[in-house]
Amino acid sequence: MRTLVGVGVWVYMVVAVLTEVLLYYQHLAYPVLVSVVSILATSQGVAIVLFYMQMKDEPASVKLFAIIPLMFLSALLVAELASLG
Amino acid sequence: MYTTNHKDVGLLYFFTSCYFGIVGAVLALLMRVQLSVPNNNFLNAFYYNQAVTMHGLIMIFWFLSPIAIGLANYFVPLQIGAKDLAFPRLNALSYWLYLAGGVLAVSSFFVPGGSASAGWTTYQPLAVLTAGSGPTLTYLGLVLLAVSITLGSVNFLTTIIWLRGPGVTLSKVPMFTWFFLFTIIAMLYAFPTIIAAFVLASTDRILGTVFFTTQAIQPSILWDNLFWFFGHPEVYIVLLPAFGIIANVIPQFTGRPLAARNAILVATALVVIPLSFGVWMHHMFLTGIPVALQGAFSIATIAISIPFDVITLAFVESLIRGRVKFATPMLFSLGGVVLFIIGGITGVFLSSPVLDRVFRGSYFVVSHFHYVMVGAAIFGIIAGIYYWLPRMTGHMYNEKLGQLHFVISFIGFNILYFPMNLLYDMPRRIFTYQNVGNWAMLNGIASIGAFIFAGAQILLAWNVLHTWFRGPQAPPNPWGSPDLEWTSHAEGMSPAANTSSPAPAGGWIGQLSSAPAAAAASAEATPYAAGEHAHLSSRPLQLSVGIMLFLAGAATWPGITALGLLVVGGLVVIYAFWEWAKDDMHGRFTMPDEAEGERWPFGGVPKLKLGMWVFLSSEVVLFGSFLGALIFIRAASPNWPPAGSIHDIPLGTVNTLVLVTSGLTMFLAIQAIRQGDQRRLLGWLGTTFALGSVFMGIKVSEWITLGTNHFVLTNPTYSLAASAYYIIVGLHGAHVTAGLIFMIYLMKKTSSGFYTKENHEAIENFGLYWAFVDIVWCFVFPLFYLL
Repeated sequence: MRTLVGVGVWVYMVVAVLTEVLLYYQHLAYPVLVSVVSILATSQGVAIVLFYMQMKDEPASVKLFAIIPLMFLSALLVAELASLG
Repeated sequence: MYTTNHKDVGLLYFFTSCYFGIVGAVLALLMRVQLSVPNNNFLNAFYYNQAVTMHGLIMIFWFLSPIAIGLANYFVPLQIGAKDLAFPRLNALSYWLYLAGGVLAVSSFFVPGGSASAGWTTYQPLAVLTAGSGPTLTYLGLVLLAVSITLGSVNFLTTIIWLRGPGVTLSKVPMFTWFFLFTIIAMLYAFPTIIAAFVLASTDRILGTVFFTTQAIQPSILWDNLFWFFGHPEVYIVLLPAFGIIANVIPQFTGRPLAARNAILVATALVVIPLSFGVWMHHMFLTGIPVALQGAFSIATIAISIPFDVITLAFVESLIRGRVKFATPMLFSLGGVVLFIIGGITGVFLSSPVLDRVFRGSYFVVSHFHYVMVGAAIFGIIAGIYYWLPRMTGHMYNEKLGQLHFVISFIGFNILYFPMNLLYDMPRRIFTYQNVGNWAMLNGIASIGAFIFAGAQILLAWNVLHTWFRGPQAPPNPWGSPDLEWTSHAEGMSPAANTSSPAPAGGWIGQLSSAPAAAAASAEATPYAAGEHAHLSSRPLQLSVGIMLFLAGAATWPGITALGLLVVGGLVVIYAFWEWAKDDMHGRFTMPDEAEGERWPFGGVPKLKLGMWVFLSSEVVLFGSFLGALIFIRAASPNWPPAGSIHDIPLGTVNTLVLVTSGLTMFLAIQAIRQGDQRRLLGWLGTTFALGSVFMGIKVSEWITLGTNHFVLTNPTYSLAASAYYIIVGLHGAHVTAGLIFMIYLMKKTSSGFYTKENHEAIENFGLYWAFVDIVWCFVFPLFYLL
């Protein structure tokens, strides 16, 4: 069962990467491309964390080790970009 | 030299940080002599700038944080009933990397051009453009120090979470350990950012990247963001251990439990730590950031004073309700609180963008900063030294001398720093000044204070050394503390003695039954079972020396000496890693299994796995800082090469799929060993290794092609894009390469039949690492190839 899930995640990753590349060749508006690719990249990261790293089976306290740095990083990134004016 | 014992490493940290503290103090005294009178020529600008820069860097990075780490090394395991830290060799490695970084920094004084001189804030592009190899030595030293502290944070966090003894529930953990836990959480997420910042600055100086010298964007803002995202939490990193000590000391000398203990903990955990990462831009009010941003960060800065009000008022209430005994630890604790109040109030002024405009560049800031960082932090640390000296030495210090030390220190400190509040109109970054207003008088007074304050510390040194070698025998628990470091000691030393020093009455939350105390005493008295290997390893020292030599070579490049240092350093690193792996392979360094203790809320998570999660958590910030820098550069740069014009997208896509597939094969390797199938484990590990190697091979071929297509640092058209690509992709490649090397080790152990269905923790943990490397590439690939 776990093996099937692993293969399923891999299939999703391959499809997501190919979709990203395909979208690039569609010459979408840059903000649209950035948004879609960001969502796809994030979804790949989440899939790996949940299934390959098996975060979904860990206690909530361990999940904090993924959430806390992402919160701090989001603050850094948003303020960094905002500081450009 | 080879010890990994937490007490030994704690003492090494303690004395080494004292040495760096003396170096920093001497530099401060040189500055104060120069500033004591107007138009002075004692130090010219060249030497003054080095003195002020290195004073700041040494005091903050090599003295203030590490001295607390020293005390924590010694006392955190004792306070929680652990035999040692979770990873003793890693602990020793942290110490030796800290020392190696310090040696690099101090050695910068002795190279042509002198040491770093652009100020401790290392503002760019000034710092990168400063000539000489001295600044590079210092910056690489800082990188080593930051790596050391990050590793130490992983170790301490795992220790406090996982190694608490039986009965040491979170509600019974002493305040010093609680505050050190908060400190290391801040360290874990703050220091990776400074690693990123100084790696970028160092590659600018060594390799010719242009992160902070480019004219295509405003690079100073990038530096300010990275530096202060670390820099402001660093204030709490320095302050919180001292507050932990004060919170530990006050109940012993008031005879009452600490007031509002839970409120203090909640305020620190839920407000101080999260908000410490959300106020950094108040250091950037003068850089031209938007007004709305200034307003938001001004409010956040004012808000962070609220939990400190809670803490301070709780201390004051404890004093009011208790009967205060003015022993030396208590005097320094009170002094620390008073100085913190003064420093805190002056800090609120600086949260206002309008007032900040007036005060930012003046001595008012110097005063505020030192009241918090030196006053509150150092007075708290000194309180801890006196408080625990009987525990460390078995001897009692001289109380009268301690009290005299406090009185002279407190008076000297205020003579030194209070006049600086009145120097709010004097610029702080000048090496000499004209006699304007009261500048001469106030500076003269401050300089006298500096010598009084510094001289007072001789009393501390004498008291500590005299206590150590000639002090009278101390009772096992002289303060009647209920905390484990004392009660376990008392039980271990003399059970009868413990009853003669009863804990204060009142049903404290921190009070422990005798069961965990006895368990901890037993843990401390017999840390290792008979027949086990000695608690020694030379590898941390060897590895640190190798890295130090290698970085010294990189900093002083080019030249034959630099080449020699690079080669020798590289060889020593390879030797140390090789021997470390052999030690593990042959079980030369083993630790006993820890007894089942209190692990909530991480029960069921193995120790190594927890350590790996914590480590990866810090890696998220490291890569996030680099990628954040890339996004900042991209957003700020109007002439970034369009996607597809540089990189081969089909090849990049194939390479991405190769790495993604290696993630699947690693997953299958874990599934195989979970079923106890060693042959399939070896097969999937081999496949993962092959795919990882193919990934790196394609990467190298891409780099060669890019080089021949003039995508190089020296090409002005591409210099910024090339800088970002080679450093970030290179860092990811270094992680993949490290993974491949470790995989060889895993395959070797697998082929010897080491891993079984029941024992394969290393495989699981490596799977986490490899998956993380995959995740990073999920973002690196589109950022460089598609967007």
